[in-house]
Parts: sequence; structure tokens; C-alpha cells
Amino acid sequence: MSQIQEYLPFLIPVLIIQLVLMISALVDLIRRPSVRGPKWAWALVILFVNLIGPIIYFVMGRKEE
Amino acid sequence: MIQIENLTKQYGAVRAIDNLTMTVEPGSIFGFLGPNGAGKTTTLRILTGLAKPTSGSAQVAGVNLSTDARNLPRHIGFLPEEPVFYPWMTPREFLDYIGRLHGLSISDRAARVKELLELVNLTDAGKRRIGGFSRGMRQRLGLAAALVHRPEVLLLDEPVSALDPAGRKDVLELIEQLSGQCTILMSTHILADVERVCNMVGIITRGRLIVQSPREELLNRYVQPVFELDSDDVPSIQRWAELLKKQTWITSVNIDGNITRIVVNDLVQARKELLASAMSQQIVPRRYEEMRLSLEDVFLQLVEKESVQ
Amino acid sequence: MNFLNVFSKEMTEQWRTYRLLIVMAVMAVFGLASPLLAKLTPEILKSMPGLPPGLADAIPVPTIADAVSQYVKNMSQFGILLALLLSMGSVAQEKERGTATMMLTHPVSRLNFLLSKFFALAVTFLISLSMAALGCWYYTLLLFKAMPWDSFLAMNGLMLLAFLVYVAVSIFCSTLANSQGAAAGLAFGALVVIAGVGALPRIGEYFPGQLFNWGASLMLGTSTTAWPALWVSIGVIIVALLGAWQILNRQEL
Repeated sequence: MSQIQEYLPFLIPVLIIQLVLMISALVDLIRRPSVRGPKWAWALVILFVNLIGPIIYFVMGRKEE
Repeated sequence: MIQIENLTKQYGAVRAIDNLTMTVEPGSIFGFLGPNGAGKTTTLRILTGLAKPTSGSAQVAGVNLSTDARNLPRHIGFLPEEPVFYPWMTPREFLDYIGRLHGLSISDRAARVKELLELVNLTDAGKRRIGGFSRGMRQRLGLAAALVHRPEVLLLDEPVSALDPAGRKDVLELIEQLSGQCTILMSTHILADVERVCNMVGIITRGRLIVQSPREELLNRYVQPVFELDSDDVPSIQRWAELLKKQTWITSVNIDGNITRIVVNDLVQARKELLASAMSQQIVPRRYEEMRLSLEDVFLQLVEKESVQ
Repeated sequence: MNFLNVFSKEMTEQWRTYRLLIVMAVMAVFGLASPLLAKLTPEILKSMPGLPPGLADAIPVPTIADAVSQYVKNMSQFGILLALLLSMGSVAQEKERGTATMMLTHPVSRLNFLLSKFFALAVTFLISLSMAALGCWYYTLLLFKAMPWDSFLAMNGLMLLAFLVYVAVSIFCSTLANSQGAAAGLAFGALVVIAGVGALPRIGEYFPGQLFNWGASLMLGTSTTAWPALWVSIGVIIVALLGAWQILNRQEL
């Protein structure tokens, strides 16, 4: 418990970045009619690959029309 | 409304436009007709200020292209052959953006966007991203974008060529609706489109204008009587064709598979003698018909004549 | 004429295509990682097995200076790379797609077309670098101690200027090229030349790379300045943009 409290100040900014990226990527994924590859796979990437996952989705997942 | 004088455009060794002179009167729908590569797109690109002529001059809606080109966009609306947009925008946002660029007020823009989306039948798609639009939808949006600022002159480059029959009908109807509101110059290589909506026709080939006249006049002047005969007996027909070509009242004989087209210059004599002459060659026609040249025939005739010279 | 309209479209584009968000996040992560790396590297070294005895004690205790130089190093590498990646397609993509042609038949001057792109990218990097700076400042505060904010700000200002040199040069390359691929090739070529010549002893003093050294020295309390590099950088930005304008004016789109 005390360890978590010690690390909390370090975690807060990382958590904020992760959350913002994750939520924007998920919202975009849901709204987009179609993406490269299956949507559920992208959802997994966005949810479980920290930080890099949403960025990979933004760079590679979206279709260039 | 559009005046082009001795316009020439040279790309390296290729002369895309060769001493082109033509006039488009205010209020007309001018069909700019020619085969692919005749110089139609180059001409339109010069008229929109996107390309600079090698020599010659042009005036569009009172704007002299060589001296005053920066004022041109306010007066013209241009629909390129393949209209493209920013895929992340919606049609509403795009039309609004164009309106802002042209200095329309907020309320004017809102009304205009609504009106145009209705006109081109995109109201339901108004909030969708343009990225997912079909070819036909983009064409209609392109037309709407060209109209936002109520231009005096509308320049359309092959507005319906890439569309399916239903989409083509929609866009042609839109163009027809616009007559009277602005002067329209539309390029196309499809004659049926011109026959349908244009009241003036200019035919261009190899960068040169070979004919410019009102549609009706063009049809009356160039339309000659033509007979069509349909028969399987090809050897006899070929023999017959050689005979016919020697007659003074025959302009041309054209064999295309089973169908022989005979253009004549003396209708009375042709009616009297043509069928009899076929019979004398033991040709049994499956079909024999007297008809008039369509605009397509006129066009092919003119373009062919030009290339022979 | 219409600069603000086109600029606001460019900013919306940065946002809607998620470019702004991605660069913000990446830069913030680099900002956070810099002091962390400075703190952890010696400890990782110490804990390596097979380290000769005595050497562990010789590894210096990390200081705020290490955090700063780590930050400057990261920004001078990844910041410049991002500046290049984000800018090199800006004009070439619009030419390739045909949207440039479409827009230029409306009242958008070619100068505004270019300037709006430059300023939108400048704002993107201003925001992103601020995120990086904030992250670096915060972690340094936690791991070491508070940095003097005025010289830290000045250092970041110098870095932003250096980024903008690469943005302007990339826009120039993007205007010169007819395709995105060619634009990327030109921009990376320019990067290699600037980096290579900038590493030479005398000439290097006039190159934007010096801005990073100047920034670092502000923080470390040494008195190196690089005024020539600063003026040259501003000059290069202006020349690159005006050059791009002249080229675009002569191009038929």
C-alpha cells in the first residue's frame, strides 16, 4: 500500500496519457464504418497494449480513403 | 461570358491547345465536345487559372486571365473531372468552409449549405465523413461546392463521364436546372449528354476548335439522310458497295459487320434507286431503313475529316 | 486574405486526423522518460551482474544535469524526426490527392496555403513540446529537484525554433516534390545534410543543432551562446517558406 502511494505521483501522468489515448482510439474505432482488419482485434490492441496500442491503431488501423 | 482568343498551350513537344478561339455567350449551356486527349481539360484548366497559356488570351466573366487571375475564383465555379475533398470533413463542413473562403456571412452560409445539400440530394449524408462517399456522391458534392458562392460562370470537366446511368441522369438534371442562373461550359466526350442539356456545341480535336454553333443549327447543317441496310451476304454487299461509291449521289458507304450505312446527298434519287440497286446484286435485306444522322455521326464525320487533313 | 480560415481548417485537420494527439502523447512520454532514464541508468548499470568490484562506486550519482542532457538528446533526435514526419507530406499529399487544385480554384492564395500549414504545424509543436516540457519538469521535480523555470522555458523556446527550421525545410521539400515519396526522400536528404554539415567544426556553429547545445548550457549554467545559429535558423525558416512560395507559384497543379 505504501509502495503504491510512493509511486502514485509517477503513475498519474502516465495514466492520464494512456486513458486519453485509449478513449479517443476506442471512440474513433466505434464511429468508423470500417477499419483495416477486424474491429475486435483493434479493440484488443487498443485496450491491452499500453500507450503504443492506441498509437498503432491511429497510424495503421484507420483506412486512408 | 467566356472569350478565348488564339489560345495556345505547349507541353514540351506536344501542343495541347492550338490557336483556339471561341466564345461562350451569357446564359448558354455550352457543350465542349471532343475525343479524349483533344485538349478539353487543358482549356478548362487555363480558364480556371490553374494553368497558364503559352500564348493567346482569355476572359472569363469579365476577368482577364493574364492580368487579373487572382480575382477569378470569386466569379467562377469549377468541377474537376475527379472532385476530391478532405476525407475527414463532412459535406456540411466542406460547403461551409468554401462559403467562408468566399466571405459569406454565417447566416448566409447556413442557408446556402442547407439549400445546396437539398439540391444535390445529400441532406441525409450531410453529417457523414466524405471519406466514405461513392463516386456519384462526390460528383454531386463537387457540383454543390462549385455553386456555393453563386458564380457567374460554371466550368464542368466531364461532369458525368464516370457515373453510372442513374447518377448520370441525376447530375444532368441538376445541370439543366441551373440553366438561366449561370453560364455553363461543360466538357464531355459523350454526345448523348450534349444532345440532352446543351444549347451550344463546340467540337474540339487535337487542340483545335473545328465547329462552334447552336445545337439545332449543327444538326440541321450537318445532318444528311442516311440509309441502313442489314444483310448476312457480306461478299455481295462488298461488291455492291464498290459499285455505289462510283455514284455521284452517294457521299459515303460504310460497312460495319452486317450493317451497311450509306450517306447520300440526293434523297430523291436515293429513294428511287438504292433498294433497286441492292436487289440487282441479289442482296436480300433483313432490314432496310431511311434515317437521319445523329449528333454522334456528325461528330465522327467532323473529327475524321479533321484528322485526314 | 483568408489566412485565418485556412489556418483554422489546418488546425482542425491536425486534430481530426489525430496527428496533434499522437504527437502530444509521444512528446509527453519522451519528456517523462528523460529524467527517469537519467535516474535509472546508473542503477541498472550497478545491478548488472559481473561488474568488476569498485567500478560500481565509480559510477557517478545522477544529477539534474543528466536529466537535462537526456531531455535535450531525446528532443534533438525524436523531436526532429517527428517534425520531419509530420511536415514532409503537408503539401505533396494535397498535390497528389488533388485537394490543392480544388482549393486553389477558390479564393486561397498560394502564400496563405503554405503559411497556414507552417503555422498550424508550429502550433502543433508548441503544444506538443509544452507537454514534453511539463512531463520532464514534473518527473525531474520528483526524482531530483525543481529546475529553474526561466532557463528551462528559454531552453524549450530554442528547441521549438530548431523544430520549426525542420518544419519549414520539410514544407519546402514537400512543395518541390510531386509525390509524397519524393517529398520524404528530399526531406530525409535535407536532414542528413543539415546533421552532417552541422557536425563540422566551424560551419556547425551556424546550424540549428547549436540551439540544443545553447539550451542545455542555459540549464547547466555554462555561458555558451549560439546567436549566429539563432539568426541563421530564423533566416532559414523565412527563406524556405518564401522559396516554397516561389516554387508553388511556378507549378501548374
